[in-house]
Amino acid sequence: MRIGDAKTSYIADEMIFDTPVRRAWFAALIVAILVFPLIGNDYTIYLACLVAINVISATGLNILTGFTGQISLGQAAFMGIGGYTVAVFASRWGVPFILTLPLAGLVSAAFGVLVGLPSLRVKGLYLAIATLAASVIAHFVFAHWDPVTGGIGGLQVPPAELFGLVLGDDRSMYWLIMGVAVIACMGARNLFRTRVGRAFIAIRDRDISAEVLGIDLLRWKLYAFALSSFYAGVAGGLFAYFFRVVTPESFPLTMSIFFLAAIIVGGMGSILGGILGAIFMTLVPEALRFVTTMVTPFYPQAPVVLSPMREVVFGLLIVLFLIFEPHGLAEMWRRLRRFFHLWPFRT
Amino acid sequence: MRGLSRRDLLKYGGGAAALGLALKSGLDPRMALAADDIVIGGSLPMTGVFAFAGIAGHQGLNDFVEWKNANGGVAGRQLRYVMEDTGYKVDVSVAAFKKITAAHKPPFYFGDSTGFEKAIASELVQMGTTVMSGASFASELADPGRYPYHFIAGPSYAEQVGILLQYIKNEASGGSAPKLALVYSDTEFGRDPIASAKARAKALGIELVDEIVTKPGSVDVSAEVLKLRRSRPDYVIFHGYVLSPINEFIVQMKQMGLKTKFMGTYYTMDKLLIDQVGEPSDGFMGVMPYNYYDSDASGANFDAMRAWTKQHAPDVTYRPVPYVASWFTGMLFAEIARRVIEGGQEMTARNMKAALESIENWDTGGIIGLPISMKTHSVPVGRIYQVRFSEKRYVPASDWIALT
Repeated sequence: MRIGDAKTSYIADEMIFDTPVRRAWFAALIVAILVFPLIGNDYTIYLACLVAINVISATGLNILTGFTGQISLGQAAFMGIGGYTVAVFASRWGVPFILTLPLAGLVSAAFGVLVGLPSLRVKGLYLAIATLAASVIAHFVFAHWDPVTGGIGGLQVPPAELFGLVLGDDRSMYWLIMGVAVIACMGARNLFRTRVGRAFIAIRDRDISAEVLGIDLLRWKLYAFALSSFYAGVAGGLFAYFFRVVTPESFPLTMSIFFLAAIIVGGMGSILGGILGAIFMTLVPEALRFVTTMVTPFYPQAPVVLSPMREVVFGLLIVLFLIFEPHGLAEMWRRLRRFFHLWPFRT
Repeated sequence: MRGLSRRDLLKYGGGAAALGLALKSGLDPRMALAADDIVIGGSLPMTGVFAFAGIAGHQGLNDFVEWKNANGGVAGRQLRYVMEDTGYKVDVSVAAFKKITAAHKPPFYFGDSTGFEKAIASELVQMGTTVMSGASFASELADPGRYPYHFIAGPSYAEQVGILLQYIKNEASGGSAPKLALVYSDTEFGRDPIASAKARAKALGIELVDEIVTKPGSVDVSAEVLKLRRSRPDYVIFHGYVLSPINEFIVQMKQMGLKTKFMGTYYTMDKLLIDQVGEPSDGFMGVMPYNYYDSDASGANFDAMRAWTKQHAPDVTYRPVPYVASWFTGMLFAEIARRVIEGGQEMTARNMKAALESIENWDTGGIIGLPISMKTHSVPVGRIYQVRFSEKRYVPASDWIALT
């Protein structure tokens, strides 16, 4: 039984992987990520890519909402800006993804700063509505700025390419998407070991106190918006390369709600929460679909009868999570770990 | 929440194991299936905003496959239909496509939306194993150059509006130039045919007096109605809606005593409009590529479709339009397969595309009133129907019109 970790320095206390077990688990995760394309089929590879894109975006939203306390309903719009940036630069000028992806993040971050400006004056629901308005404006621009965005029909995106290497299918895109996702999550995790991350948390916990402590609210809130939007922009860029088409309807408001739900279900203010939430929100509906698939050979009317039930079950799962585990999947994971640490004693 | 007991752990562990098993079985579905079955895959919206079309479309395709198999299949081979619900979400539709493709390698696939069909287009080209049709009538999908392995089992939206304009032109022949207003939703679906409609109207000498864009499903259209009152069009064509706000326009404009004729396209032209609008729907017109299930039409396939329903669902007296459309899509899939197999060729996308394009002057057996050709990957044929409220159904207002 492990009863604690003796730390003898601040550096040791700040370490992300502070025990051999944690390091081993992380190594196992990396190995699993590397091995997965060798054993997965097209469908599972596709899902893994989709999960990874959602993880990046959910992590970005978690930085803003979970860690900084700034509610946002604009994540889909930020992703859209990233997606369109990639589409325009890749399809018109053949710019490689190594440049278009950071560019997508930067353009989205710039828009995020604009959207974040009201955050100094308004909070909570008011801010949510402000970001919602930004989302509507972005959608309008996507749909009507025909010369650039292709209007309502959107833009076709060429496959991601670098030095003649074409990532034309999901299996090759997996390496790019998963690589970016790992870097994004590690970056976010590291962020909260720095003064920047601590400033974000201070703003979330009590913004007035944070200001008294010398944290420039405007600057750091806008920084949080920019960072979150950067993540969304990169996720949107990957989305564009992955689906090879962007239209105004690729990034609906429901997508923003999806990410908000993901970080709530996963656990706000926790990097792991964003990851688990994105995985849950992406894979559980798929898992529920299997039930219909498995029943159909025996009951041909299953698609008609069970499909609406699936939506109800998924909604119910989210509601039950909020009731019984308001801290989300990340807290369940932590409790599970504590259980093993302290066994045979109760946690 | 209280701490985790070993019992809880068993519960969580059991649940996780069950989920894992479900996932595992789903990732590698194995059913007792014949190896030479011709598989039709499908991403259908059984839930979500387009569920009304998805459920009917699923039923139509399913019934066609069962009927075809009961009648000997295609060149001695059985059809098999494998579908997944998508909720009308592109990423879910793509997931369903990947899953079905990985497990069943379908030569044919039925898509649920323009977004999905566009998103999967490059992959279709890469795969070279599958041709696709579906619920979308988007004009760009009928471009064999950009989307070589897609086809539309009916007229594209641009062609549908073209048929309406041709009808308007025919009606007005000899008189003054008819005045037209276009009302459409601010969506990809709504805007699809507008540019071509304007060009065609101009070419036909139809005067476009108004153009109104609304949110899909909006209900407050008072300002737009007043605008139409000022421009006094002879015809209003609605596109990009299922119902709202068409009902609002019709009711309010009829209350004002305007004699405008209202017209719709495929997704508007079903019983929902008659049921929801009631008496004011009387006289509403629109284009329909197929004969209505309750029409007086007859033909080998059309009669077989109705007989199958009578036999297997005796309580059902009407099948929605997407049912007929899906049945017809199934017919085209089967015809493509027949031509490829009887030509002694492999079921590759290239061969199936050639087979599709070889369909010329093909009798649809009463589903469509004219022989059709698939050279352009769409069927630019339709008929103008009109609501006869006393009978609660659509009746023909014109003969069949083929766009040239």
